[in-house]
Amino acid sequence: MPSRRTLLKTAAAASVGIAAWRPGFAQTKADIVIGAAHPMTGFMSFAGVASNHALGDYIAWRNQNGGVLGHRIRYVGEDSAYKVDQGVAVVKKMIASDKPSFIYLDGTPLSKAVARDVLSTQMIMTGGFSSSEALLDQKAYPHHFLSGPTFGATHEILMEYIGRVAKASGSAPRIALVYTDQEFGNEAIPHSKARAQKLGLPIVQEVVTKPTGVDVTSEVAKLRRARPDIVIFQGYIMNPVPEFVRQMREAGLTAQVMSTTYGLDRIMYEALAKNGERLTGVMPYSYGYDTESKTMATIREYVAKARPQQDSISVFYIHAWLTGMIFCEVAERCIKAGKPLTMPNMKAALESIRDWDTGGLTGLLVDLSSHQIKTGRIYSYDPATRRMEPASGWIRV
Amino acid sequence: MTDFYIFLEFTLLGLLSSGVAALIALSFVLVYKGTRVVNFAAGEVMMLGAYCYYTAAALWHWPPVLALLAALAAVAVVSTCIEALVLRALAGQPTISILMATIGLASLLHGAVEIAWGQDPLETPALLPRMPLNFGEVMIPGAAIGNFLLAAALIAALVAFFRYTQTGIAMRATASDPVTAATLGVDIRSSQRLTWILSGTTGTVAGALIAGAGSVSPALASTALSVFAVVILGGLDSVAGVILASLIVGWLESLTVGYVGGKMRDVFPYLVVLVILVVRPHGLLGTREIERL
Amino acid sequence: MRIGVFFETYRGEEQLWDSPAAKAWLALFALAMLLLPWWGSDYIVAMACIVGIHLVATLGLNITTGGAGLISLSHAAFMGVGCYAVSWFARWGLPFYLALPLAGMLAALIGMLVGLPSLRVKGMYFAIATLAAHFVLGFLFREWTPVTGGPRGVTIPPASLFGLELTGDRRMFYLIYACALALGIAAANLGRSYVGRAFIAVRDRDISAEILGVDLLRTKVLAFMTGAFYAGVAGGLLGYFYGAITSEYFTFSLSVFYLAAIIVGGMGRVLGSVLGAVFMTLVPECLRLLSSATSAWMPSLANLLLPMGQVVFGLLIIGFLILEPHGLAQIWARIRRTFHLWPFRT
Repeated sequence: MPSRRTLLKTAAAASVGIAAWRPGFAQTKADIVIGAAHPMTGFMSFAGVASNHALGDYIAWRNQNGGVLGHRIRYVGEDSAYKVDQGVAVVKKMIASDKPSFIYLDGTPLSKAVARDVLSTQMIMTGGFSSSEALLDQKAYPHHFLSGPTFGATHEILMEYIGRVAKASGSAPRIALVYTDQEFGNEAIPHSKARAQKLGLPIVQEVVTKPTGVDVTSEVAKLRRARPDIVIFQGYIMNPVPEFVRQMREAGLTAQVMSTTYGLDRIMYEALAKNGERLTGVMPYSYGYDTESKTMATIREYVAKARPQQDSISVFYIHAWLTGMIFCEVAERCIKAGKPLTMPNMKAALESIRDWDTGGLTGLLVDLSSHQIKTGRIYSYDPATRRMEPASGWIRV
Repeated sequence: MTDFYIFLEFTLLGLLSSGVAALIALSFVLVYKGTRVVNFAAGEVMMLGAYCYYTAAALWHWPPVLALLAALAAVAVVSTCIEALVLRALAGQPTISILMATIGLASLLHGAVEIAWGQDPLETPALLPRMPLNFGEVMIPGAAIGNFLLAAALIAALVAFFRYTQTGIAMRATASDPVTAATLGVDIRSSQRLTWILSGTTGTVAGALIAGAGSVSPALASTALSVFAVVILGGLDSVAGVILASLIVGWLESLTVGYVGGKMRDVFPYLVVLVILVVRPHGLLGTREIERL
Repeated sequence: MRIGVFFETYRGEEQLWDSPAAKAWLALFALAMLLLPWWGSDYIVAMACIVGIHLVATLGLNITTGGAGLISLSHAAFMGVGCYAVSWFARWGLPFYLALPLAGMLAALIGMLVGLPSLRVKGMYFAIATLAAHFVLGFLFREWTPVTGGPRGVTIPPASLFGLELTGDRRMFYLIYACALALGIAAANLGRSYVGRAFIAVRDRDISAEILGVDLLRTKVLAFMTGAFYAGVAGGLLGYFYGAITSEYFTFSLSVFYLAAIIVGGMGRVLGSVLGAVFMTLVPECLRLLSSATSAWMPSLANLLLPMGQVVFGLLIIGFLILEPHGLAQIWARIRRTFHLWPFRT
């Protein structure tokens, strides 16, 4: 009967041995690792679940179609719950164990918090859900890019469209801005006002609401006094816009209702359509049901096979798919040039993307030299087809 | 003259919107008055009520009034469970423990609701028909009057209940001195249970009204946080105080939005509360607690 | 008191350990922590840093709420004050060993302002007054753009010690735990001093304490200021650790998190703060690891991670309050007592 001591010694030795054993394996072409921190739970879950599916789908599809020049792509998707603490822990763990070359981040706070860690590796490029121009600072975030226009650029596109319509009709419409007291809402406003002023469009009222505001009666009263012709909502996914618009109509306001990007998705236009409203606004991408775009057809085909119960493709999905495309394009350009995937090389490859065809996802050819894609199109709700249909050509600012 | 109409409009809107806030604040005050517990889970109970109303009205397609009654019944059951399981077990513990217990309960309810119904906003049919009023320069949107009338009716009913019915008087007796009430033959346990059920009732009605304005989502619970200013201003254990305070706070919030800008809307009532607390540390109409050694 | 443990000198009674075995275990633990950046993976070091920051804040709250009985719902806001203060001091070139204490003192000053009403306003009213203060401070964080950077937040340059930049988790680990150790020993000593005993007297019966000669206003405000100081230092460490912070970080849920930590850990005891901070930080992480481990054969579980985390949080708090109101520290003490003379029964 071995004594307790020898038993303990053997166990200790065995555990050290197991910990030290590293299975060796041979690899042909190195995998490209794309990591992601999505807000799969929490109040942004509708965005996180969609973007997780989108990145996973794109990478699976790309692997089925040859990967990146023969390199397989590995996807590591984690949940950040839109909390900085959890997101940072998840990203650090990913950097340590999976060593990704690309990471998709869930928002501006997380992107800022992990910037130092990501930069210090000099091997990672990040993209993500944020549209904040703060992340375009090339000194602080040279490794980051936006897959669309910033909040400000989006509004500039909208103002351009309103300006064109005004010029055609001869009179300048009175514009009111209703926005939330958050980055999603208020970052765009100075740009909006600057471009409107340049185009001679009067901004007659600004109304700020809480992001989770429920009682909007006073805000509507304030708006009513200004008698605007156009009301632009910025920073809302849906609530409380339908109730706001209902009260506006009761107050006798016949203003046109406009919104942008994440506030122009199905959940918003359908809620407004239920009350007979026709939403108009800027979208930097085609919609999921677009028939002109080759890429959109590919997406629809893939989703129908992989997840037949998903009946629509949201803007969050499209955004993440596009980001996946950009990641792979950057990797492809680096590999073609024979350069290793280091941050300076990837940044150079990113900035070399001009006139890149995304198969109709973004309408115009993509120019990422400024780390953002400053194009968009105006869509308007059509009650006949019950969808958003294009109301203008693609605009680049 | 237009300036006066603008002021009048904001004042009216503020006073009318105070109805729902008063209901939520009342759910705090009822529980505190009856059982000396500050219920940080009031927002979550309200949210649960709203979700039950949604289930009955939108999923089972019941008419709104029946759906509301179903929601009230469900919340009554949950309130009874909470009172029996959690608060009995913690009777007699220091304030912080009970406070933390209600916070834990809030978290538990929030998570449970998200698991059961998901995290996305769900469209809910309105409880009351919309009645917009337009008289000259002043315009009252559709839901405001209906909400206020329902809230006022419910509060009036509660006040009458406490004043004139046997059960109501028994509950007031239990609230002010449980031991004496027990010696006089009042069933304390059922009084306290009833207190919790009534608190759940007002919360549910408030939740249904808010949800009916648009959609129900887990974010509904956070509207209860902003009601704390009302509760403290009125006094934690005063029903009349709650009514007065919610009118004042509603009016102030509306004026803030109208004249200062929406950003200050949340903070202004809290600033007012901090100032009032210096002068009247138990709120406007709260009872002064007399401490004995 | 445990059998077999008796002190022969006053010095012995003041020690942090109560037997040679405890001393040995403490030394081993200290060695393991000192060497953690060597044997720990990046993930473990990062988690340890986050736990350390939460530990400093929890120590502070345990002094205010556990020690003096003043319920503070604005702890997260004080952390924010400390964080923004450090960003300013660091940008002015102050080294961290000046910036951190100064940030703490600034937070303590704000804590004094928040704690001043405590003489007039008591109990639950005071707790909600601190909630009001939290909202007002949060509003300032979001709106006072020249100072706090508004919704964009601020960036904090890394701390540097005589030219050696403290970048990377492994170096920050030492800074964080040096602060935690110093502040933890300070908290333990506070409990054994006149001030600490005054806090406990105020917590139990403030009228009696006043009769015994304890100056109520000074004691309560001091308790609040001390807790706020700790929160300010924790906020400063947070700033150095993340490098960039926005006002969205300092929510009411964070204050609730710290309250839960002291309840679960054990109110009024330094060991309680340690256990509470570790436990509350690690439970969501464990849940996440669990859900990703089971995501292979139960994929829908991942979607429920956050609400499940909330349910577990709620159950933990209620469970501890009903079953073990003195928290993990009491459970720990019981386990130690049981094993003290094992296998003999005491």
